Amino acid sequence: MADVNETINGLLSELRRGTIVIGVLSQLSEPQYGYSLVTVLEEKGVAVDAGTLYPLLRRLEKQELLESTWDTNEARPRKYYLLSPFGKEVYEGLCREWRKLIISMEGIMGETEGGERYGDD
Amino acid sequence: MEMIDRYIYAVTQRLPEQQRAEIKQELQGLIEDMLEERAPAGQASREDAESVLQELGHPNALAAQYRGFDRYLIGPLIFDPYLTTLKIVLISVGIALTALFAIEAIVKPQEILEHFTSYLVSLFSAGAQSFCWVTLIFAWIGYRQQQNSTGPDGMNKDWKPADLPPIPDMHTQIKMSEPIAGIIFTVLFTVLCLYSIDLLGIWRVSDGGRTVIPFLNADVFQGYLPLIWILAALGILKESMSIIVRKRTGKMLALHIMVSVATSVLVCVILADPAIWNSHFIQQAEAAGILSPGGEGYDTIISMWNRVSEWMITVIGLFTVLDILSESYKWYRVKASAG
Repeated sequence: MADVNETINGLLSELRRGTIVIGVLSQLSEPQYGYSLVTVLEEKGVAVDAGTLYPLLRRLEKQELLESTWDTNEARPRKYYLLSPFGKEVYEGLCREWRKLIISMEGIMGETEGGERYGDD
Repeated sequence: MEMIDRYIYAVTQRLPEQQRAEIKQELQGLIEDMLEERAPAGQASREDAESVLQELGHPNALAAQYRGFDRYLIGPLIFDPYLTTLKIVLISVGIALTALFAIEAIVKPQEILEHFTSYLVSLFSAGAQSFCWVTLIFAWIGYRQQQNSTGPDGMNKDWKPADLPPIPDMHTQIKMSEPIAGIIFTVLFTVLCLYSIDLLGIWRVSDGGRTVIPFLNADVFQGYLPLIWILAALGILKESMSIIVRKRTGKMLALHIMVSVATSVLVCVILADPAIWNSHFIQQAEAAGILSPGGEGYDTIISMWNRVSEWMITVIGLFTVLDILSESYKWYRVKASAG
C-alpha cells in the first residue's frame, strides 16, 4: 500500500499550486521583485520555490495581471512587479470566490466529521 | 562564478531567443539574492552556489516552467499512427529491396557479390530516407493540427457534444489493409524507380542467360528522380492521413482526389518526355529475336511503340478517373447510410 504521508504530500502540493497565484497577487499592491516576494510569502507561511515563482510572474504579466519595470539604479538590476488595475480586479474576484470555496468546503468537511465522530442526526 | 553562468546558459538556451536576455538577467539577480542569504559577506563558496542551483532544480525543468508548454516534433496524439506507418514503410522497403536483390541475382548470377554489397548499401540508405520522409510528413501533419486548434494538444476549446464523431461501424471505417496496401505499393514503386528501372521491360530467357529489354531510358529517367520522391511523399502522406483518421470523410475524399490527380499529372509529365523511352527498344527486340521484320504483327507493334506515350497517358487518365469514381462512390455510400 502507498505511504499515507507521501500521498498526502502529493495531493497537497496540487492543492497549493492554485493558491500560489492568490498569494502572489495579494502581495503586489506595492512593487516587489521576485526574490523579495519569495521571502515575504515564506514569512507568511506560503512556501513557494523561486523556480516556480519567477516563471509564474512572467506568465501573470503576459496575462496583463501584473506590470513590470526594471530598476537599474541599485547595484544589481531587478525587475519589479506591480498589480495592474485589471489584476487588482481579478484579485478581488478571486478572493470572493476563495471565501465561498472555504465556506462550502467547511460545510462538507463538518458534515463528515460530525457524522463519523458523534454520529449525530 | 562559472558554474552559475553554465546553469543560466543551460536554462536560457532552451527558451525562445527574444526572452533569453531578460530571463538571464532575472536569473542572475535571483541567484545572487539567494547566495547573499547564505553567505552575507558576498563571499559565497562553491558549496553555497551548488546548493542554490540544487534548490532551483534541473535546468530543463526550470526552462519548461518558463515555456509553460511542451513541444513535440511528433505529438502524443499522432505518435501511434506514426509508429504504424514507419513500421509498414520500413518493412516494405526491406521486402522490396530484398525482392529486387533476388531478381538481380537470378538475372545476373555471376555478379552476386556486387549485388549483395549494393543491396546492403541501398537497404541502409533507403531505410534512412524513408525514416526521414515519414517523420517529415508526420511532423507537418502535427504542425497543421496544432495550427487548426486553439487549445493545447490539438483539442478545440469550443467543443460541442454534437461534434462527437459517430462510433465507426464497419462501413465507414477505412480498413487498415487499404492504407497498408497503399504504402506497400508506393514503396515498391519508388524502390523500383530508384534502383532498378531497367528491370521494367521485356524479359527474355534463353540458354545463355536472361536478358531484359527495358522500356525506359535509365539515364534520362535519373533526371526525374526528384519527381519520384515527390510522388512517394504524396502517396505516403495520403495513406498516413488514412491511418490517423481511419474514416471516410469528405476531407479524406478531397485529399484522395488531390493526391490522385497530382500523381497522375506528374507521371504523365514524365511519360510525355519522348527521351524517357528506350530509343533502341525496337532494335534490341529485333536483336534478341523477339521481333522479326515482316513477321506477324510487326507493323502493329512498331506503330504502338511509336505512340506509347499517348497510350500510357490515356490508360493512366482512365485509371485515375475510375479510382476517383470508386472512392467517391464508397464515400457516398457511407454518407447515405449515416444520414
